[in-house]
Amino acid sequence: MDLKAVKLLIERNAKKSWNPLGVKEGYCSSWAEGMSFPEKGETLLYTGCLYQMIPYIDMFARLLKGFENMNPALFSIAMKINELADSLGLDTISLLASIEISKRDRERYFNIVRNIANALTSAGVKFAYMKEEPYNGVLYHDLGMDDLFEAHVKRLARKIKETGAKRVITVDPHTTYMLNYLIKEFVEDFDVEVVHYMDVLLEKGYEPELIGPKEVVIHDPCYLARWNDLIDQPRTLLTRAGAKVREPEFSRKFTGCCGGPIESLFPSLSSKLAEKRMKELKESGSPCLTVMCPICLTNFQREADKLGVRVFDIMEVIK
Amino acid sequence: MTDLTEVSQLLNKASEDPVLRTALDRAIASYWKKRKQVMERYPYVKELADEVRKIKEWSIDHMDELLGQAMDSVERRGGSAYVAKTAEDARRIVDELVGTGKIITKAKSMTTEELKLREFLIERGNEVYETDLGEFLVQFLGPKPMHFISPSIHLTREKVAEFLREFLGVEVDKDDIEGMVAQVRRFLRDKYFNADVGISGANVFAADRGAVFLIENESNIRLSISLPPKYIAVVGMEKIVPTMGDAWKVVEVISRYGGYKVTSYVNTVMGPAKVGKGDIGPEEYHVIFLDNGRREASKDPILKQTLYCLRCGACQYLCPVFGIVGGYWAGLNSAYSGGIGVMWEYITGDKETATQHAFACLLCGRCMEACPMRINQPEVLREIRRRFMAEI
Repeated sequence: MDLKAVKLLIERNAKKSWNPLGVKEGYCSSWAEGMSFPEKGETLLYTGCLYQMIPYIDMFARLLKGFENMNPALFSIAMKINELADSLGLDTISLLASIEISKRDRERYFNIVRNIANALTSAGVKFAYMKEEPYNGVLYHDLGMDDLFEAHVKRLARKIKETGAKRVITVDPHTTYMLNYLIKEFVEDFDVEVVHYMDVLLEKGYEPELIGPKEVVIHDPCYLARWNDLIDQPRTLLTRAGAKVREPEFSRKFTGCCGGPIESLFPSLSSKLAEKRMKELKESGSPCLTVMCPICLTNFQREADKLGVRVFDIMEVIK
Repeated sequence: MTDLTEVSQLLNKASEDPVLRTALDRAIASYWKKRKQVMERYPYVKELADEVRKIKEWSIDHMDELLGQAMDSVERRGGSAYVAKTAEDARRIVDELVGTGKIITKAKSMTTEELKLREFLIERGNEVYETDLGEFLVQFLGPKPMHFISPSIHLTREKVAEFLREFLGVEVDKDDIEGMVAQVRRFLRDKYFNADVGISGANVFAADRGAVFLIENESNIRLSISLPPKYIAVVGMEKIVPTMGDAWKVVEVISRYGGYKVTSYVNTVMGPAKVGKGDIGPEEYHVIFLDNGRREASKDPILKQTLYCLRCGACQYLCPVFGIVGGYWAGLNSAYSGGIGVMWEYITGDKETATQHAFACLLCGRCMEACPMRINQPEVLREIRRRFMAEI
């Protein structure tokens, strides 16, 4: 993998659509089609677009695995072709996505977000949403592309402000961490309260219903457990719904990473890490793994069949 | 430089090596079990670690002042103190003290690995023996020490037995680790008595008394530094703390987080033996304080936390990436391994290689949970990425 090429690709996509993979903001919010939420309000549900991007992340991960050992010169030729197509007005990413991504795949991840929104509504939470929903910007930060991250989160902060929100509900650990900590280094007056949807559900005394397997192994996502300190929340919700929760050897603050964060630069290593962690999880007694993070979900999902396990987001186990 | 192909090939290959995986799996499982026992038996050690973090923060902020005190203390007690600005300076000082045609016994030391000191001394016509079993194996089997306290973490006992059978020409049992240690000890025994020079690093150094502290389990260190007439300690400048009391705290934290309920020996050396008074020990005590990028790092608000590292190896044992590639991460030319190894390499070695390897970190933060100093490796490694990405 060539860092210069990766940087250029991300910068070009970001310029085009404020998204590192070129995913459009209208697509990100299309989970809400057929549902009705206001666009302004004191509470905002901001998804950060990660769940919706899973089919794209997956598509890129498969592509990049092929590029991993590719000569940087070839990679830059591929980039040039892509650039040419762009200049002719061809949207290569949408084109590729229309071939690679099935409707069923999209629906699965949209449904997770819908289940979260429905649970919040059932719990009596009223919230607004963004009709053009921006990506959370975390990849820029992870790769050390701070200029891009800064521009991105400044715009995001402005857009959140425009909704009139005093409280933002998040749905994934990376967006939660970014809004709680990272954004504050770049946006001085970001003073909205940020709260993860599980905390909101618990605060409302929500009683979830079991819709998935009766017994699951819990995988604490690193950014949920270690960086946001959300550890008991998923356990409480699962138990309340009547699920039996099995604990792996490495859990809570010592949970093991799914390998997802290096899937773009070191795809083979990333798969190996997923495999190792999934074996650890399976050994704790159930082939049904439950995660609460879109990155863990996609990285595990890719290796799931091979290992004979099933991977669920928590909002596919309860609703 | 922007092309990561070589790094990913190196790491992919390591991750596919079944012997390496078996060795790492065993070592990590054993560490995790011991760590839980240690934390249960010595619950106060977490508070002690917090206290040591404060000692280290203060010490790194006062590095020059402490260095002055440390050097005075060494000289006052009849030893000789030196400052080596670079790795080359350090090798030159050692060269002047050792010369050629000598027998040298070495204690395991990451700082001398950073200097490639063993290779250098051999090239200068000396006979050099690593006396720690793990490091002894690395000397002959390579490719590098793969972990701070368990340098041969990449070797299975089966591999070790195979090597010893051939190297020593004796029968050894792969399941009898004590027996293998005994065989190597027998081989090294007469080397200690014939050695001209003993060389070690330091786990921590007390400025007030000019004292080197060395933790060990095999008693090889006390032999390799006490029996030869000349003793040289190479001390990274970040190792200096104000007092003996501080140093003892550091010693306990290193051993506990290294996974030891008890470490068999802690050595302290405070000066040369007084000849004619019946003292046993080296007649010459030389301490080389090594900078090699440490001073500059101590002034860098983000890199600085690397210098709080006690080199206990806890983060390496618990890092998911290290768990499948071991010390290949940070590169085979680096003395250091894992995410923390990338940070040390960036400060003391090849910045370019370190930068490329920095991109393999998951930023997952289990290292921080493992670390007694709570060093934020994701923050440092991301910063290394940021500096590079801003330039390309």
